[in-house]
Amino acid sequence: MQQEFAILDRNRQMVCHTPAYSPDGLTRETELSDGCVLSICGTPSLDAENEQLHRQLAEALAENASKEAFLSSMSHDIRTPMNAIVGLTELAKKHIDEKARVWDALEKIETASGHLLSLINDVLDMSRINSGRMQIVSEPFSLSDLLHDIMTIAVPQMVRKGHAHQLVLGDIPHETLRGDVLRLRQIYVNIISNAVKYTNEHGEIILTIDEQTEGDMCRLLFTCQDNGIGMTQDFLNRIFIPFERVNNAQVARIEGTGLGMSIVKKIIDAMNGEIDITSQPGQGTTVRISIPLPWEAESIQTSALDGQKLLILEADSTIRLRYAQIFEKTDIRCVMAKSAGEAVSLMTEAEFTQSPFSLLIIGRKLADNSTYSDAAAYFSKACPHLPIVLVSDARWEEIEYQARRCGISGFIPLPFFRKSLLNGLNHFMTEQHGPVQNTACPDLSGRRILLVEDNMINREIAKEILSVTGAGIDTAENGREAVETYTAAADGSYNLILMDIQMPVMDGYEATGRIRSSGKSDAASVPIYAMTANTFAEDIARARDAGMNGHISKPIDTVALMQLLRKLL
Amino acid sequence: MLAYQEQYIRNTREIADLYHAYSRQYLSFDDFLSGRLYARTRIAALKSENTELLETHLFPALDDLFQATPEAIASLTEFAGCLMDWKVNLDIGVYVKIHDALLSLCRIRRDRNGTIRELYLLGMGLYYLQRIVEGTDEKYAGSFHFQNEMLFTEAGSYIRYYDEIDDETTRGYIIRALANVALTTKNHKRKISASAHALRIIRDAHYRQLAPSLPWDAFLRKTHQQMCANRAELSQGDLTTDELAAVLDSCYEVFRPEAKNSDPSVRWLWPYYEMEYNCGMVSLQLTLERLQLLINRTPVDSYDMSGLYGNVQLPIYYGHLMRANPRLQSEIKHLRFLDHAYRKMQEVLTTCPPDHFDDYFFFNISMVISEFFELPGLLSYREITTRLMQRIAGEQYVRFRKTGQLIACICEAIVDREPAFFDDIPFLAVLSDPAVKRQTLLTYAEDCGLYFDFGYIKMNIGRMMQTRNLFEEESRMLQLHTVSGHDDLLARESTQHFADIALGHHRAYNGTCGFPETYVRTNSPYRQMTETVTVAAAFETSRLPSARETLDVILKGEGRQYSPLVTMYLENDALLERIQSILDSDGAAFYREIYDSLNFESRT
Repeated sequence: MQQEFAILDRNRQMVCHTPAYSPDGLTRETELSDGCVLSICGTPSLDAENEQLHRQLAEALAENASKEAFLSSMSHDIRTPMNAIVGLTELAKKHIDEKARVWDALEKIETASGHLLSLINDVLDMSRINSGRMQIVSEPFSLSDLLHDIMTIAVPQMVRKGHAHQLVLGDIPHETLRGDVLRLRQIYVNIISNAVKYTNEHGEIILTIDEQTEGDMCRLLFTCQDNGIGMTQDFLNRIFIPFERVNNAQVARIEGTGLGMSIVKKIIDAMNGEIDITSQPGQGTTVRISIPLPWEAESIQTSALDGQKLLILEADSTIRLRYAQIFEKTDIRCVMAKSAGEAVSLMTEAEFTQSPFSLLIIGRKLADNSTYSDAAAYFSKACPHLPIVLVSDARWEEIEYQARRCGISGFIPLPFFRKSLLNGLNHFMTEQHGPVQNTACPDLSGRRILLVEDNMINREIAKEILSVTGAGIDTAENGREAVETYTAAADGSYNLILMDIQMPVMDGYEATGRIRSSGKSDAASVPIYAMTANTFAEDIARARDAGMNGHISKPIDTVALMQLLRKLL
Repeated sequence: MLAYQEQYIRNTREIADLYHAYSRQYLSFDDFLSGRLYARTRIAALKSENTELLETHLFPALDDLFQATPEAIASLTEFAGCLMDWKVNLDIGVYVKIHDALLSLCRIRRDRNGTIRELYLLGMGLYYLQRIVEGTDEKYAGSFHFQNEMLFTEAGSYIRYYDEIDDETTRGYIIRALANVALTTKNHKRKISASAHALRIIRDAHYRQLAPSLPWDAFLRKTHQQMCANRAELSQGDLTTDELAAVLDSCYEVFRPEAKNSDPSVRWLWPYYEMEYNCGMVSLQLTLERLQLLINRTPVDSYDMSGLYGNVQLPIYYGHLMRANPRLQSEIKHLRFLDHAYRKMQEVLTTCPPDHFDDYFFFNISMVISEFFELPGLLSYREITTRLMQRIAGEQYVRFRKTGQLIACICEAIVDREPAFFDDIPFLAVLSDPAVKRQTLLTYAEDCGLYFDFGYIKMNIGRMMQTRNLFEEESRMLQLHTVSGHDDLLARESTQHFADIALGHHRAYNGTCGFPETYVRTNSPYRQMTETVTVAAAFETSRLPSARETLDVILKGEGRQYSPLVTMYLENDALLERIQSILDSDGAAFYREIYDSLNFESRT
């Protein structure tokens, strides 16, 4: 059997040889590149030992070389942004009176710091991986939530570079999987970020997610395809080696540590997954990742939705098709509209045929280029009893304030699957609104509202409206009575104060001011809402200045009031 | 109508008369000045009284609308009707407020006919109210237009109940609402489809038979006119055959009655000619000749709709053609004609008697501000807008000139101690002679006073802002004056140096509040001037009795609202004294500028 030996030559270069046996069969000889002849003596058992030693030596040397390369690259990569930070700080100090130059320097320092931070994070990750300290956890996670998180990070990057993007969802039979969701996110975000970085502006990125079931496991298949600058076969062979980056003018200005892909590879290996990359220079790159993950059994609840009629406002035909597929096998009736105009027409019909909708779902894209907030604001006014859910790829935390102000009271993240959509809507209907027929009457048992209104009929109407909620209602006929009632009650007695503005004895502004300065523990936090038809900009500002949290317009609109109660209580 | 409603209408009419009174009287300058000073005081008092009338009567009435008697509701409707007759609109904001409340009432009562009526009337009110944001980029104004479009869409969607509705007037509202969707949407394809849908219904005998008393011919004519308004899209190449045919058909229908007339109105003649040009049926040369003929044949003292169309809109269109065909911009005959047409337009707009100050007149002015095409050597945007400000917004003109003085004196105080303070501004940075540089800066600073609130002037053209305090909705619309003013100023060379000032003067120095968010001070080389303008405007608008007290308030906002780089120079007694004297002046010099520019003496 021919054996290969790794040995060092005079120049300390490791070379591999396959020596031939001498005629006596005891020694083997080979000629090295520097002209020396190396004779190897020994029996086959010694050969094996030698072979092992040589292999270990080779590994140690390779590791050493890798560390040297690592240190060399690191010192360069760290020094470069650090030089920028130090130099630019000095420059800014020298020109402290020149605002434009200081600003320019600060902006560059910010960029360099960001780069340095990402380098340090990558190095720490790499170190954790190399030292075997990286733990892959296994816990249940929602695939829908994972994809939503990824897209909220990736979409702004893609939009900034003007890339067209598309998320193609395959058949996803299992939405709850077990795995390390943070590491999965790290892998996918890294791959997508590379696609964004290495694709020239106005490119195209297509992401695909699919599943293959294999018994109690499923294979999560992710593909990221771009039409970017691509890579040569030579570079593809080295792509997972730390600090390797394409070396050409096209990428010279693109920030990167060259560690990302090695980290991705190591995490995928640790998850027993596979990664495959195909690329052509100038044509683009396709990355395919397959990771085996156990799936969890899941149940779908639709009890609060069964028999209900939903109006869905969505212009994206792919998403509309998805809705149709999901609702097809349920007892839920859904009517689709592409534009707000179409939706208002359907709603008018439904209202006057005594067959109203139970829920309005506003989607990501509307055909008339209107925004979800404009559409929601109109529908919440035109049809106030109708709860509105937004389905969007935006981050709910970021848009919640504005969305709620427009009348949206629920949120389903995109992309959605069967379970995440149905359970999300079911949860919304049961938890937020109770059974549909009671959508206008939230259960406020145990809550207390102070209603301040001088007009007896208005007071009675408001009491009547509020009484069905089960909330305790105290009334006051003017501002002074309101202040007295509030101060006489125990701290925290009231969950809401509804305050008329124009009243005899003491008006709503003054009463609010006195309540806020009463010194009670909840004086600053108890919500106070003005009830008024007066919407002069100065008066709205005055209400705010007086310490009110907002206003609802008069004549009192039952459902607007219920919306407010739902929101606050 | 109730007494307070009649009083409100009287006050509002008086405000309108006072506001433009100086335009109708050819007085000596002293009479002119005393008249203006009286008008200023009287307008303030009437505005305050109007605000109080609404607070003490209208708002409580809307508060208690549930219990309102049918008579009270009728008086509200009548009151609203007097405030907006769709030609001379006294107070669209109050009209909208009343109909908004009535719509809520009808919805709650599930009164279908009432809901349809109020949707339509509120839609019309909003349509006129949104003239405030006309010409503002759709990404900002789109939200207001959308709400308006939806009101008409909702009213129009009741067409499916047309047969069972027993009231012909309500049927009429549905038909008009269907057509008016085209008025509110900015998407030309939706405009065409809305008008086409309305035309199909209007032509259908079934609908006509159910409401024979409705003015079907007028409906048909108006809807054709709305469809014809899409003629500019004929050359865009994205219309389907059906859409093309629909627009062509309406252009012909609009033109047909005029063709028989020996002296056809330019309002209906030109759309036909424009359609022919956009379809490639006639040459550019012939179109320009036709335009010249129509402009020349419109008398300069013709202020009715046809006159304004020929004297204002056609010159604007001539400018459009020159912009779209750059080779014309080097042909002397076209340059001469455009200058002639623009100067005639300026003459018409600055001499038009106040009796003609209606919605259409203000619409034309707004169009000039949005669409004027500036070319070197011809009447400049700066010149015509200054004249328009003097003519249409005299009180604001005086206020802004005073602000300009304040800006200049603050700038002077700053450069006395830091000569390079404004050197981020490119045209100042290149000046090497300190004296020239200083003078250039001070002139620019004064002009900034005139242009920093240019968007506000444009939006204020309908004069509604002077009749009472603003409603919150109006205030939100008016916030767009920053972006609107910026876009208009930036688009013309003679005013582009003021664009960033217009954009940023309501944004806090530290970027935490104010508007618009798109203004980022560090991105603008004009930021130091913008921040100086913000401080000067704070002095000008302050209601505190002295400049010293205003300064104390400004210093409290240092680093947040106001730039510390500017405020650090304000602790200066000589400067404060100058500011105080500017604030105390009656602005006679600036009234004189108005008086002279409008040639009152020569007309006397």
